[in-house]
Amino acid sequence: MGGMTDNTPVIEVRNFTMRFGDKAVVDDLTFDVRPGETFGLLGANGSGKTTTVRALLGIYTPTAGELLVHGRPFDPAADYSLGYLPEERGLYRKERVLDVMTYFGQLKGLERTRAAAWSQHFLERVDLGDKGNARLTTLSGGQQQKVQLGVTIMDNPSLLILDEPTKGFDPVNRRLLLDLVEAQRAAGATVVIITHQMEEVERLCDRVLLLKDGRAEAYGTVADVQDAYGSGIVRLHYAGALPEPHGWRPLTRERNYAEIELGEGTDAQVLLRQLVDAGVEVRSFDASRMSMEQVFLKVYGQAPDEAEGAAA
Amino acid sequence: MKMHNLGTVIGFEVRRTLTKPTFWLTSLSVPLLMAVVFALMWFSNASTAATVEAQRERGVSFTYTDASGIVSPAVAASLGGSPTPDAAGAARAVHEGRSQLHIDVPPDPTREPVHIVGADLGLIGSGQWNGIARDLVEMSVAERIGDPQLTTLLTSVDTTAELWKDGERSAGFGAMIAPGLFLVLLYMGVLMLGQQMLNITVEEKENRVTEMILTTLDPRVLIVGKVLAVLLVGIVQGLVLLVPLSLTAFLLPRAGGGAPMDAASEMDGPSFGGVVIEVDAVRMVVAAALFVAGFLLFTGLLVAIGSVMPTAKDAGSAFGAAILAMFLPLYTATAVVSDPTSVLATFLTWFPLTAPVTALLRNALGSLGVVEGVGVALMLFAVAGVLLWLGVRLFRQGSISYDKRLHIGKALRRS
Repeated sequence: MGGMTDNTPVIEVRNFTMRFGDKAVVDDLTFDVRPGETFGLLGANGSGKTTTVRALLGIYTPTAGELLVHGRPFDPAADYSLGYLPEERGLYRKERVLDVMTYFGQLKGLERTRAAAWSQHFLERVDLGDKGNARLTTLSGGQQQKVQLGVTIMDNPSLLILDEPTKGFDPVNRRLLLDLVEAQRAAGATVVIITHQMEEVERLCDRVLLLKDGRAEAYGTVADVQDAYGSGIVRLHYAGALPEPHGWRPLTRERNYAEIELGEGTDAQVLLRQLVDAGVEVRSFDASRMSMEQVFLKVYGQAPDEAEGAAA
Repeated sequence: MKMHNLGTVIGFEVRRTLTKPTFWLTSLSVPLLMAVVFALMWFSNASTAATVEAQRERGVSFTYTDASGIVSPAVAASLGGSPTPDAAGAARAVHEGRSQLHIDVPPDPTREPVHIVGADLGLIGSGQWNGIARDLVEMSVAERIGDPQLTTLLTSVDTTAELWKDGERSAGFGAMIAPGLFLVLLYMGVLMLGQQMLNITVEEKENRVTEMILTTLDPRVLIVGKVLAVLLVGIVQGLVLLVPLSLTAFLLPRAGGGAPMDAASEMDGPSFGGVVIEVDAVRMVVAAALFVAGFLLFTGLLVAIGSVMPTAKDAGSAFGAAILAMFLPLYTATAVVSDPTSVLATFLTWFPLTAPVTALLRNALGSLGVVEGVGVALMLFAVAGVLLWLGVRLFRQGSISYDKRLHIGKALRRS
């Protein structure tokens, strides 16, 4: 897998702007993706995520800026291998499973026999060993998703770009996908995930970029972004009456339970002292960073699943 | 242009088409159907002729009335006929089934038809009555002339002709055949490959495969590869169609005795069905150039249409309009042929969509000058190039415009 021996970014996006007519879909965007990391590209629908990826992969010509993969504009004939799972995805439905997988393997540079062997091995691994000669249209939706995954990770690509990877996937295939991504990552692949699933972001991503209206809203490690949008969250089980908020505010307040957002500069210890001083009986006190779900809510004013359904 | 993965695309496209049973079923169905029709016709003709001959050999008794005085009683007797003065009574006898045939020769057979009243013996059986009536009159006339040579000349006169143009001998119709074949080829190519050409850019879009494909190769490679694959498949399809036809054409003249071929073989040049085929190198080169340019134009047009339309169904409507425009000149052929210098003919020759067919037609007829022919071919190459360039540009955008028709202006600004 190329590009992982030094710390040169695998992906570099510099001052990227994309206009469709008068509308700027992406405006002066700059970020990079380092070798071996899992990078999350986040944002509501219409924020410019897919446009950025399409421009990166040469499908769109950028209005301005530079988008590089391994230091050069993306070239299908380059010596690194790419696994790309687009948001809008499908396969040649009328063709046989093995023929289609082999074709994509060849397009990715494998010898025909090697591509066919890899494909057959993958099909057996995902319990589709007997479906090689079946036409894709005869497979169930879940089975087609597995074939799609096989095509994406064929020949263990050094760079994986997954646009809404779990969208439309059933729970079994979602688990399979995440396992496969994790395996690729463990093998040293660089992974870019575009997703609305904040739980996946927290679990998988090293760094993230939050796009809002085509501009970078937040960029850094997951912890950095969480910290940037609040000092943290405290989950509190208590008895008594909560004091007036000073440097914090309750997000949820029930009879004996509360979720409290700490304000900037307010430490969890300060809150605990205020509670004790106010005579609150603290039964449990769990301080943690703000979840990415909450960060998303703060940035976009809506939950990720609502953002997914919103018009672009 | 980098040709990375071109061979892979061609291989996949050709393989998947040729391994489909439906391809062979549809390809073979045409020659198979033609073979069945030819066989049925051959057996039917042979059977009809044999039946009629057998019935005539068995002898038929008939009555006749002759107001013209032409019929020879001896000839009539040899055919089984006996004269009767009562035409109405003889006809009644046929009506009542007591007689099979009555022939009524009018006073002037050159002006009035010979009237036959015959028993209905079915399509084939009844067919012999006409033959007997014709034999009765023709053999009687021959007997009156008394000279077999003169009698033969009455029924057929063979001619040979030599045509001259601009002080040189012209092959006439024979000179049109070879360059005219390119027009037939263009027509067949459009008919056989049109839908497949259209699918070149629609299929990836309909299957949502485009984005994955475009990360493995240049869109131009995909389109060129698919066009070449369609052409290869077309050649296979053409061979499947032409081989049985050629075999039939090769075998049929021998079955028919080969007289026309023998006559033609005495003249210069190859011949078919008695017509000498003249091959004019310049006209052939112009025809080939017009064919290639016309086919490229047609391909570019379909690629562009497929890139803009969201589904094959939508593209099919636009395809129909384009094909109609391309073959419109065939409906105006008479006007173009009768006056190749008319405004209509000139317009159709130079308007890109109608130019291939009109120019090929005029070239075959010998009314397209070399300079004009080359000019039209160059124009077609240029337009085809622009259309293909446009098609590829639109494909980048159109192939990911999954559910709606592409706005051409926006797409060109975007890509």
